[in-house]
Amino acid sequence: MSDGFDDIQAIFFEECAEGLACAEQGLTAMAAGAASADVVAAVFRAVHSIKGGSGAFGHDALLAFSHSFENLLDAVRAGRIAATPAVAQVMLAALDVLSDHVAAAQGKAALPDDAVALAALETVLTGGAAPVPAPVAAPVAMPVVAPAGDDFDFVPVGVDLDLFDDLTAPAVEAVSEPGWRVRFVPSRAALANGGEPLLVVRELERLGGIATVVAPIAVPPLRDLDPEGAYLGWTIAMPGTVTEQDIAECFDFVVPDAVIEIVRDAPASMPAPPQPLPLPAAIECDSCPPLPPEVPAAPTEARTSDSQTQTIRIDVAKLDMLLNLVGELVIRNSILSDRLAPVDQQRAELPQLTRLTREIQDNVMSLRAQPLRQSFSRVPRMLRDLCAETSKRVALEISGENTEVDKSVIEKIGDPLTHMIRNAVDHGIERCADRIAAGKPAEGRLTLSAEQRGARIIIRVRDDGRGIDRARVLAKAIEIGLVAPDAVLTDEEIDQLICAPGFSTAERVSNISGRGVGMDVVRSNVEALGGRIEIESQPGVGTVFTMILPLTLAILDGMIIRLAGQRYVLPLASVVESVRPEPGQVRRVTPGAEVIELRGEFVPVKRLGDLFAMRREAAPSPEESIIIMVDSDAAGRVGLMVDTIEERREVVIKSLDRHLYPIRGLGGATILGDGSIALIMDVDALVAAVPAAAAKYTMKGLAA
Amino acid sequence: MSVHETQGEQKIVTFTLGGQTFGIHMHALVEIREWEEPTPLPGVPAYIKGVTNLRGNVVPVVGLAERLGWEPSMLHARSCILVCNIGGKHAGFLVDEVNDIVVIADSAIQPPPDVDTGEDSMILGLIAIAARGGDGAAERKPVMVSLLDLEALRLSRPVDLAA
Repeated sequence: MSDGFDDIQAIFFEECAEGLACAEQGLTAMAAGAASADVVAAVFRAVHSIKGGSGAFGHDALLAFSHSFENLLDAVRAGRIAATPAVAQVMLAALDVLSDHVAAAQGKAALPDDAVALAALETVLTGGAAPVPAPVAAPVAMPVVAPAGDDFDFVPVGVDLDLFDDLTAPAVEAVSEPGWRVRFVPSRAALANGGEPLLVVRELERLGGIATVVAPIAVPPLRDLDPEGAYLGWTIAMPGTVTEQDIAECFDFVVPDAVIEIVRDAPASMPAPPQPLPLPAAIECDSCPPLPPEVPAAPTEARTSDSQTQTIRIDVAKLDMLLNLVGELVIRNSILSDRLAPVDQQRAELPQLTRLTREIQDNVMSLRAQPLRQSFSRVPRMLRDLCAETSKRVALEISGENTEVDKSVIEKIGDPLTHMIRNAVDHGIERCADRIAAGKPAEGRLTLSAEQRGARIIIRVRDDGRGIDRARVLAKAIEIGLVAPDAVLTDEEIDQLICAPGFSTAERVSNISGRGVGMDVVRSNVEALGGRIEIESQPGVGTVFTMILPLTLAILDGMIIRLAGQRYVLPLASVVESVRPEPGQVRRVTPGAEVIELRGEFVPVKRLGDLFAMRREAAPSPEESIIIMVDSDAAGRVGLMVDTIEERREVVIKSLDRHLYPIRGLGGATILGDGSIALIMDVDALVAAVPAAAAKYTMKGLAA
Repeated sequence: MSVHETQGEQKIVTFTLGGQTFGIHMHALVEIREWEEPTPLPGVPAYIKGVTNLRGNVVPVVGLAERLGWEPSMLHARSCILVCNIGGKHAGFLVDEVNDIVVIADSAIQPPPDVDTGEDSMILGLIAIAARGGDGAAERKPVMVSLLDLEALRLSRPVDLAA
């Protein structure tokens, strides 16, 4: 087990090296006089991560020094101390000491003498800043309980003493009386049965309990891991003043097959946080160094290794390769199935192979799914920085951060998201005074939400600012020749202009929005993912940017339809039903618009051939066609008229931009069992598209 | 392969298109395929014939004649698709007939004349090569080959404004 721990520690040191390099770069820039908030923030983050990790791994000297360093950086970041080259020089010197500390923690060098650097940091800090608490040596008294779940970069393991003071206090008291030791291992199916173990733990904590050890119980390999299974056991120290009855009551609603042990500790064996207790799965026994006085290291290490034991870091490229191969396997499997005689297709082996292939595919896909929290967690800090820069006040509201998305999607939404938020703060939300004048609360509100809808993920950035100034956008667009001076555009079309390539209203570019990517890049990023972006703006009320993205970039559950001899894939997620119209059920309302009467309601019908601007001479009549009712965000329920439906099938999405570029109305292409290509339709973009725009080009080869 | 490329020389694949001879650099060529009707795409310029399955990849097929601004090629038995790698992206180009692979000296490439046709930007240079085949020396009069600039033929998304 120590190997596993060493590996994690090795990752930490890798991150230290990255952080040091990053900090070095930033401080050098600062010393050269280029101290933007981004630079300071980057250095701060780097040092902060080192501090967090060092705490988790029990490198106290490193922790103490990085903490002091961070204090100064925080003051600089908040603007209490100007980021002058002189300050940067002090920090560069401190950085050298910090890297020595890292080397010492790795066992490569002796502990450096940091007194001079510490004194220098302290001088700068007190010289130009409000008094900062947090004594240097204190952080050793480290977290006993840290909120689990959001420890992506070890941050919560940090040393906010105020936060932990009240938690550590009862533990110290407990020394005087013999306390209780409660061991609680929920049943594997606890979560499925509604027996959320955390509630029990919280209840115990409310009684003054402290979870001293959290250990995984028989965690299976990742493949067999049931994500909804409970694999953790807690050992909770309770103060002696609590009665056994009270403790037992906490477990009232726990199912009988959970392990619950309530034992009164012998008075002597209860030091503040207990010495390593007999752990169910002795994860960190080898790894926790024999350091008798530094007790807090034990629980901290236990916690860290718990959350990491069963995790390995894999090069994403390897995952991608695996995914591609599995995709090919799925295609080969269906080619094979198509080639076999029907009687052979029925044999047991083929369905088994198909099922196995599906399972592999599902597993590989799940390996890549990650919660959006990762992208969202950067937002609050970014927003704070933005507010500081623009001297605006903005409250952030985040929801849906647990929505899981394919890793490749997460990676690629970072930049668009950043830009949309910058845009919202810089252009959308007004200054406090303006807001009050407009009768709004002084504090702006930015809502970041994510939700999964079918096979799509919807991410919204909503602000309650002034909305898009359409007159100005239009004027600028005419000025730079994007639209003809006499063009009449709808509000939506004007809003879309801000996404046009090369569009930038010079007077609107500030050091915030001008620095990042432009909205056209946002749009092309999103479209490259097979998604699209929608803008909704109401003057004076606010703007909503909506990114609609596919959940995964790899696999789609689709309905294969036929149109003019070609096969197309309609994402099943948007299909509601299919109808074979009776004569007279489809009626023309205007020469260009048809509706279908369905159970007393009139639903617009679009001929897919028209949407694709095909010129078909012998197009089948509605009675010879099938109408597929689809739900779309843009146009609500719409009927799509196609020739026939072939089958339902999972298809592997091949993006068109790999060798071409994204095409509106298409979400990609797929290769069918016989090796031919079917285009995948993006229903929303398709029904929302203005037919005139689609008619710009005709489809070659389909003209007959 | 009897034709080797050495310093100061370039290997060119020549093909005909509407009676004229063109060339592309051999190193960009991925493979030559028989013509097979590609899957048509909506909303693309007419010269993009569609997409085809190239060993699990979805690769666009371009009518080279139309791309260069001429009448579309007539399909016949020797029509084929040159699959090229342009900056990491693959594209197939429909040509009338593949002729030869020739090695030419760098110095044999003349810059295209500065004709204001709009298409000259897609032509890297002109090369005169001796025609192969024929029965006697009398038949061997040089043929002009237009060396195409694949970078200029790269498929980029058409500018769509406010769409």
